[in-house]
Amino acid sequence: MRRSEENNGGKMADVVNVGVNLDAFSHAISGIQALRSSVTRVFESLKDGMKNRETLEGREKEFLAEFQDNLQAVNRDLNELERLSGLVGRPSESHPLHNSGLLSLDPVQDKTPLYSQLLQAYKWSNKLQYHAGLASSLLNQQSLKRSANQIGASAKRRPKVQPSTLVLPPQYVDDVISRIGRMFPDMSIELFRPNGTSAVLLVTLGKVLKAIVVMRSLFIDRTVVRGYNENVYNEDGKLDIWTKSQYQVFQKVTDHATTALLHYQLPQMPDVVVRSFMTWLRSYSKLFQASCQRCGHFLQDGLPPTWRDFRTLEAFHDTCRM
Amino acid sequence: MGVTCVCQVPVAEGKSVQQTVDMLHKKLEQLGSVKQGSFCVDCETYHATGNVGQPSKLLYVMHNSETPLSCMSLFEGGPCLVADANFDALMSKLKSHFQNAKGHKVESRGSRYRYCDFLIKVGTVTMSSSARGISVEVEYCPCVVPGDCWNLMKEFMQSFLGTSVPELPSVFAAKPEGLFAAADCVDTMTQYLELFNKLRKLQIPGSNVR
Repeated sequence: MRRSEENNGGKMADVVNVGVNLDAFSHAISGIQALRSSVTRVFESLKDGMKNRETLEGREKEFLAEFQDNLQAVNRDLNELERLSGLVGRPSESHPLHNSGLLSLDPVQDKTPLYSQLLQAYKWSNKLQYHAGLASSLLNQQSLKRSANQIGASAKRRPKVQPSTLVLPPQYVDDVISRIGRMFPDMSIELFRPNGTSAVLLVTLGKVLKAIVVMRSLFIDRTVVRGYNENVYNEDGKLDIWTKSQYQVFQKVTDHATTALLHYQLPQMPDVVVRSFMTWLRSYSKLFQASCQRCGHFLQDGLPPTWRDFRTLEAFHDTCRM
Repeated sequence: MGVTCVCQVPVAEGKSVQQTVDMLHKKLEQLGSVKQGSFCVDCETYHATGNVGQPSKLLYVMHNSETPLSCMSLFEGGPCLVADANFDALMSKLKSHFQNAKGHKVESRGSRYRYCDFLIKVGTVTMSSSARGISVEVEYCPCVVPGDCWNLMKEFMQSFLGTSVPELPSVFAAKPEGLFAAADCVDTMTQYLELFNKLRKLQIPGSNVR
């Protein structure tokens, strides 16, 4: 029931007045229902046949008159429907899905459900983008930049000025580390350079723990804390900087140490930062001896007090810390 | 290998050995421990037949399921040798020097529990298939120095042993460096040996132990 001149009208009208189309749609649907009921009436009257009248001619005349009425009703409804369908128009050819909409024409839905999966992936990526935007605005409120770069430095200056604290000669780093190592008698610090110029320190604290500290020039990048009796080298004989400790207490201490290296920040004086971090780490020499300052017990959920306050170096359980 | 403490738990009043062991298991599970299989520590006695006239020294050969590939042999209060599992075959070849005192084999068998970084082993000590007592071994794995973590271990043992908490094992205090030397498996075995000898000397009582 489509005519060629409706195509153009449909394309133009589609975007502009969707409301009209919907109205005409509902009228067209009721037109279809009217047409169906008039066609049904025709067949019903045929089925019923001639009604009982006195003469045969009377019966035939009445039957024919009724039949004609019904057919005229069908014709009327059909014309009405044609008129209404013209108002509805065609769905626009240029649907906004472009090429991906052609995937929906694939009939084999259970073997290759490409279109539905595509829609899901699109919705997922939209949600992900939205959540990432929220997260980045929240995270930007708390500045965690530890280097000396100024945020929003003018575009002219940025490529020329290198942050001076990120490019330090390895000899200077070695000197600073060995000086700090000499400060604390019960802590020994060994320096390795297994991958390039980044230093990796192996800090042995008494007979309590061994910490592996990965540096980036004089900034502490990450740290792993393991027990005194655990293996620090992997099969090739190199320092194993990735494996977590097998003991829960040292996994907790690793988390606390990561918090500490983010806490101690002084972009212009990284050697002070390293010294503060080592002083903090040294407070773990009494990891198993100290009781919690708050609750007085040694154990909480099977763990000794693993948190050390950043200022006072007092021992607390992770759940007791203030 | 951490710091271990082996102690004996007296059988509860009016209960059998098995019932006391079950009570301990229940207390451990209430704390939140997870059962992780079973363990076995056994000890065989050998007489040294070398010197006539001198009292024969006793050599104890012990195995621990925690270190299944090792075999430890020690003289009471004397040196200890840690060898691999073939040592048993070697002992059978040394029949002329060391006689196996059959029927003196003592073993402790039971379940092994893990709570956070603690390993708890509750076992029934049997000698020639008669139950003699209950042994409890508590190991704190991350620490190697007994002096550091003794208070911590005592607090933990109090939570499920109640009043029968032992003192610091003498094996640690007897070392030249004292409490601050690193602990190892030899100390564990020495403690088990002391416990087994104590239980061996107990005569088989009438009704208590069944």
